[in-house]
Amino acid sequence: MVTSVTNGMFARSARAGARRARLAPRMMAATTSPKKILMLGGTRFIGVYLARLLVDEGHEVTLMTRGKSPVTTMIPDDTPESYEEYAKSVNHIAVDRKDAGAVESKLRGASFDVVYDINAREKEDILPILSSLPNLDQYILCSSAGVYKKSDIMPHCEVDETDPQSRHKGKLNMEAHLESCGANFTSVRPVYIYGPLNYNPVEEWFFHRIASGRPIPVPGNGKQITQLGHVKDLATAFVKCLGNEKARNQIYNISGERVVTFDGIAKACALAAGAPEPELVHFDAADYDFGGKKAFPMRDQHFFTSVEKAMEDLDWKPEFDLVAGLTDSYQKDFGRGTFRKAADFTVDDMILDKLKVMT
Amino acid sequence: MSALVTRSCATSKVGGARRATNPLCLPSVVLGSRTASLRRQHQQQKHDVRANASVFVVNTPGGGHAVIGFHLAKQLAEQNHDVTIMVPGDEGSDKMNKEPFSRFDELRSMGVKTVWGSTSDCGACASGSYDVVVDNNGKDLDTCQPVIDWAVGQGAKQFLYVSSAGIYKPSVTPPHVEGDPVKESASHVSVENYLRSASVEESIFRPQYITGDANNKDCEEWFFDRIARGRPVPIPGDGMATTNVAQVEDMAKMMTLAVENDQAHGGLFNCVGDRGVTLNGLVELAAEAAGVNMADVKIINYDPEEVGVEGKKAFPFRYTYHFFSEPRAAVAKLGMTYERTLGDALKERWAAYKASGRAEKDMSFEMDDKIISAMTEKVAA
Repeated sequence: MVTSVTNGMFARSARAGARRARLAPRMMAATTSPKKILMLGGTRFIGVYLARLLVDEGHEVTLMTRGKSPVTTMIPDDTPESYEEYAKSVNHIAVDRKDAGAVESKLRGASFDVVYDINAREKEDILPILSSLPNLDQYILCSSAGVYKKSDIMPHCEVDETDPQSRHKGKLNMEAHLESCGANFTSVRPVYIYGPLNYNPVEEWFFHRIASGRPIPVPGNGKQITQLGHVKDLATAFVKCLGNEKARNQIYNISGERVVTFDGIAKACALAAGAPEPELVHFDAADYDFGGKKAFPMRDQHFFTSVEKAMEDLDWKPEFDLVAGLTDSYQKDFGRGTFRKAADFTVDDMILDKLKVMT
Repeated sequence: MSALVTRSCATSKVGGARRATNPLCLPSVVLGSRTASLRRQHQQQKHDVRANASVFVVNTPGGGHAVIGFHLAKQLAEQNHDVTIMVPGDEGSDKMNKEPFSRFDELRSMGVKTVWGSTSDCGACASGSYDVVVDNNGKDLDTCQPVIDWAVGQGAKQFLYVSSAGIYKPSVTPPHVEGDPVKESASHVSVENYLRSASVEESIFRPQYITGDANNKDCEEWFFDRIARGRPVPIPGDGMATTNVAQVEDMAKMMTLAVENDQAHGGLFNCVGDRGVTLNGLVELAAEAAGVNMADVKIINYDPEEVGVEGKKAFPFRYTYHFFSEPRAAVAKLGMTYERTLGDALKERWAAYKASGRAEKDMSFEMDDKIISAMTEKVAA
């Protein structure tokens, strides 16, 4: 049961709440004769949802992975039957993409129409794909909003300056290469992604503290603004890029329609978990030496984008508002007691101890 | 299979291809996503301005919104509409010596009729009937109701009301977007509600902060006063509160896009700039506009309570939360595009600031000095 919770602090987007989860959301069939799709990666999080949507749309999907982890994974929405149906619909090519020679020998002569590249990190990762598949209609890349240069003028829009020194510079190099080599590419820049099966401790970090009834340490004054996007909305956006002329050689920010402060995320997670409003403890990171451990899952700055270009071009709109989306993640994953990482409150305790001493 | 050809499109540069050339490394936001070049569809469906709608603008005699009506009247006149601008009060009052009223001959030379009267009897200074009535004056129902009633009574097809983004409830999910909860006790709300139930097509505009030529109220000047004198700039809070400052000619443009536009009917529009900016960021933009290196500008972030000053008096903008709206409805429904970035607008304002001689005026910075000395002591302690 989806609790449509809200309180005065959270402005609901116009389409309130989340639709009952569907395995096959109704999609504008704008694009699509069935395509032969090669997905690179796609077995962990984003790709898990995206591959399903593509299969539901009638496309032939091949996942290319090393084969070290299972090629297909059940999602919480699956029934055994729906999972079996899906699992037998996808193909698999086992190869390590870091081995350019092996990639080329596996892909040479293959007739894929479209590549969805979910796990590429560096320009070198995409070169063998491009050279093996010279007749691709479209190369759709999962990039990152992390490429934007930190700014006081917000939100980040796709034309804004990027930071060639950022941790995500590999993504920038890939985008630049795709643009220069004349491929028809579409690049998607998500911000923080969340949702059931998330392996990044985004919502998990908050849910751990809420589950333990612990205060939530937030750096600074908690008013830093950021943006979270549900993985299903991201997957839908990816599908809307497929065969879309407007998306030709375009870059799109994809995330939630609303942004949120750090304090707001903590409160939203508590709402999602049906827990009381959490105690927030604000701390000055400069006062501590955490020894390289992260004190908070988000970068300590304003970091958010405008998704209007995608909404306009792709006729896409996020289904989930923040509370509804976090509720979905809680009810299908973290609220069931499933976590990727065990809780680690060492850093929290350092903060709480120090502040207790001071008060 | 199709040949893979990159479509050459100035608007789709891969990130990084467009770099700021300024030493401050501010992003090159000259073409934000809401400017003309990326709104291709809307450009093609651009509102086809019909000539000669008769427009009656009630314009406040003082305060920050006065300048909106001035530019609105100009732009409507440029678009061949028949414009009357009525200022409640006396033509002879002292207030009329200030901008924009002191420049009303610019309006008259464009054929705009300038009249003075009373909101309780707009008809007395009207000549003929008007298709469109604009209330850029009242903040409460007592003032606006007679205007609305008169407009309806004389058969106006459209009513534009300039409300305020200040009525949004503070939120942890910025920005303020049209439809978000407002403080029901705010007097503008009763006007908006009355207008929505009136027999006229309404469009409501909610502005935030305003910069531009002929402004009645200080905005960027606060920053320029300090930067011009090489003084530190005290910003309350941590400087990361995000706000929105709009250039008034873009604001007026937004309103003209609503005139005789079906898409505007029943619409609620944040009449704000296309990007938010942090308070510290405003200092940087002002310094850049003034041609001053940020390395030479000292920002002092402080806690007003700690220092013992009233933040409201020490600083012209709200800073306790993100007072930050976005113009999503105007962009989506009216095809709004911005003619200039805030950075560019401030460059124009700097030139005007210098020309006015204000930089050389003697000014007291009593509160600044109090803040600075408190913060210096704090650092020394």
